[in-house]
Amino acid sequence: MSSTLEYELAELIINFCNVEDVSPSDIPSESPLIGPDSPFGLDSLDAVEVVVAVQKTYGVRIGGEKTSREVLQSLTALADFIRREKRE
Amino acid sequence: MKIDFPHQQFAHCESGVTTNLLNYHGFPCSEALVFGIGAGLFFGYVPFIKLNFLPLTTFRTAPGSIFAKATKRLGIEVKREKFRDPLAAEKKLDELLAAGRPVGAQTGVFWLPFFPPAYRFHFNGHNLVVIGKEGDDYLISDPIFEEPVRCPAADLRKARFAKGALAPKGKIYYVEKMAEQFDVPGAVTAGIKEVCRGMLKTPVPMAGVRGIRLLARQLEKWPAKLGDKQTLLYLGHVIRMQEEIGTGGGGFRFIYAAFLQEAAEILKNDELLDLSNHCTEIGDLWRDFALLASRVCKGRATITDSFADLADLLRQCATEEQLLFTRLNATICR
Repeated sequence: MSSTLEYELAELIINFCNVEDVSPSDIPSESPLIGPDSPFGLDSLDAVEVVVAVQKTYGVRIGGEKTSREVLQSLTALADFIRREKRE
Repeated sequence: MKIDFPHQQFAHCESGVTTNLLNYHGFPCSEALVFGIGAGLFFGYVPFIKLNFLPLTTFRTAPGSIFAKATKRLGIEVKREKFRDPLAAEKKLDELLAAGRPVGAQTGVFWLPFFPPAYRFHFNGHNLVVIGKEGDDYLISDPIFEEPVRCPAADLRKARFAKGALAPKGKIYYVEKMAEQFDVPGAVTAGIKEVCRGMLKTPVPMAGVRGIRLLARQLEKWPAKLGDKQTLLYLGHVIRMQEEIGTGGGGFRFIYAAFLQEAAEILKNDELLDLSNHCTEIGDLWRDFALLASRVCKGRATITDSFADLADLLRQCATEEQLLFTRLNATICR
């Protein structure tokens, strides 16, 4: 895990999506968040949960032309998106 | 042979394809502007039409209409063709590519090998642009993907002739001639009027704001009528149509909010900025609905406790959309 924000996001996803038997430190930053290769074991229905959790916690909206598909590629992509939105 | 095509990734396939094609042909525009001019926003719940055995729920207009309406309103001449014979369809595609023309095509997602297996499902309304051919591979600009992709000719043939609901029948479309001048304010106004009409004044109870209320009424009855297993399938289908198909979670309400922001500038009408904010709030309301629904599907909320709340959220969406489009119609017709 390369940054605190990425660790925080892993914790957030684990809590919101009730992911069991996974610790934030087990999650590689570049792994896909959604789909069969996701270490969280999340599917597209969980994606809604992650999008809302991020909006409520960090006050940034994943929507419009900045799609969740793009942003939810990995913890790094999600963290970069939040940093970018917070700067603007 | 490859056309030098400015591929960009977008939220939704058809508005993305149209935007990329218009950018290529010299009309710089955003996806939101194309979506708005093409009057892409809609709601329909048609329980007697089934998609994958589940009632049709749509948050946008029919496949093909965004391209058709956006180009028509901008005065652009286009050509659309369908085919019975896959080989004739391929021959025509090759001829157009050889003439240096990028070609839009309707396809079935399930047969496109460049989609990860987890995302391949039987949906025949997916749009992409074919931008070249090398050997037996077509080069494709699919706005869902970050970079252009390759697709073997045999797979593209299957995707263009996928069977079932919304069967593409080899459909292609391309720009024949660009307009010399574009009446963008006129096109924006016409697009807005059409969306308001579709959401407020439809003669059938399955469409627009009335359609949202119909879904609310029917959804409340699903647990008793269908049983738990079927209820969860129906509910999951509604969320997938809202959050996933074509939008990748972007949500058509958010794209429309971005369009209203651009429209405010184009039409010099600040009221549209307020309406854009309202549209974003409505997008959030739809997302609250999707959130609760996904919790129910995942077993994190109970069916018995949640369906009245889900129906209430839908009714709130209907009330807010009625307000939004009534105000939008008033300001645009003033």
